[in-house]
Amino acid sequence: MKNVIEVKNLTKEYKGFKLDNISFNLPVGSIMGFIGENGAGKTTTIKSLLDIIKYEGSIKLLNKENKNEALKDIGVVLDDAFFPEILNALDINSIMKGIYSNWDSKLFFQYLIDFKIPKNKPIKNLSKGMHKKLEIAVALSHHPKLLILDEPTTGLDPVARSEIIEIFQNFVVDPDCSIFISSHITSDLEHIADYIVFINEGKIILNEKCSTLLEEYGIVKCKKEEFVNIDNKDYLKVRKYRYDYELLVKNKKEFKRKYKMELIEKISLEELMVLMLKGE
Amino acid sequence: MLGFIKKDLLIVKRTLKTFLVIFIFYAILAYTGDLDLSFLLPFLSVLVMMSSFSYDAFNKWDSYALTLPKGRDNVVKAKYIVTLILILITSLLVILLYSIISFIKKEPIDINMILSNFVGNIIGTILVECVMYPIIFKWGIEKARIAILGIVAIFVVGLGLLISKIDKTTLNILFDYIFKFWYIFIAIIFIISLLISIKIYSQKEY
Repeated sequence: MKNVIEVKNLTKEYKGFKLDNISFNLPVGSIMGFIGENGAGKTTTIKSLLDIIKYEGSIKLLNKENKNEALKDIGVVLDDAFFPEILNALDINSIMKGIYSNWDSKLFFQYLIDFKIPKNKPIKNLSKGMHKKLEIAVALSHHPKLLILDEPTTGLDPVARSEIIEIFQNFVVDPDCSIFISSHITSDLEHIADYIVFINEGKIILNEKCSTLLEEYGIVKCKKEEFVNIDNKDYLKVRKYRYDYELLVKNKKEFKRKYKMELIEKISLEELMVLMLKGE
Repeated sequence: MLGFIKKDLLIVKRTLKTFLVIFIFYAILAYTGDLDLSFLLPFLSVLVMMSSFSYDAFNKWDSYALTLPKGRDNVVKAKYIVTLILILITSLLVILLYSIISFIKKEPIDINMILSNFVGNIIGTILVECVMYPIIFKWGIEKARIAILGIVAIFVVGLGLLISKIDKTTLNILFDYIFKFWYIFIAIIFIISLLISIKIYSQKEY
């Protein structure tokens, strides 16, 4: 399978932080969710992918050696960077026509109608949700093959988020289109991601198919006296509360078979994140 | 490239109202004879461009621009091209304003004075902006603001001192040369500044 993103040994060092030799691939036609705490290295990774910062290691986008060539087919939403706020959607359309040869004004204006974004209102007067939707509309309107999105649903209400998620799902109906998305809202990723990459303190601590995580991983809730009988090779992390223990297990069926425990639950990405970070 | 130029021109358009007020204020002062427009009008285009850099910085445009095809080259080139367009506009405004004032005051139009103001406007503005831009691209508009004030002050005082030290005949010959070959002199400074800014921006991280 072809990869649309190939990251090998990506390293970037700042004072007090190091993105440490990370590698991952995003296969074509897939959605990869990139999760981690604030300051874990998500934005640094995205900025490296897009050459906003210099880095060590190698990054290949859309199988193209020339990053500028690749950028023609990439739509981007950054966490906090966009057009100057005194401009409006009409201005953006006029600007983007001069930047992308395949900019589709008709599609852009259709998104503005769908998202109920006023054409003439300066960006600074848009609500946070509208602002984000405008960024997404801009990212989609030159028919990109790859979307690179940094926290695209932050600040949106649940209805708007579900609309956006639906758009992303429709986007990958085309088997040539792929999405790399970082998000704090892990429940959104559960609905759409094919792969989850979990980064912590600049290192990738998990890179797994989302379906594997949700179907095979599990949380075991047990008492202290039950816990002492569990082999530490059979769980990934344990979180100790006063009376109960929570164990993150990689294969809940196997665990159930071995320990005959009934209280094994499906895990959500949020629970996985918390257990991976807070567990021992 | 066209898109990046359009973006800067649209920012100019959106901030025009504020600068129109400043322009009218200048025009009144020029009419009453209290102000030499050739000296102050160029700084109107400097103010406009600094305002454009400020909007870029406030909304982190540079980060976003780098995600667009050829963003790294075109952000810098667009700023220089828009600068040229603005200089042309403000220079034409100087000519227009002097012509209107002469007409209202029923004084003959001094073509030589207008032309020397025109050239003075271009030289002054390009010199200031060509010094400013590499500093802004290197340190960002906020930090550069202080540096620019310092540099402009040193430039004005230094030029004043230099002129006072040179005898009038030599000075006239020097000015004759500058006015004769001003376009070459300005083109060289413009290209050097552009190349330095491109070099700085190519290494820049946002």
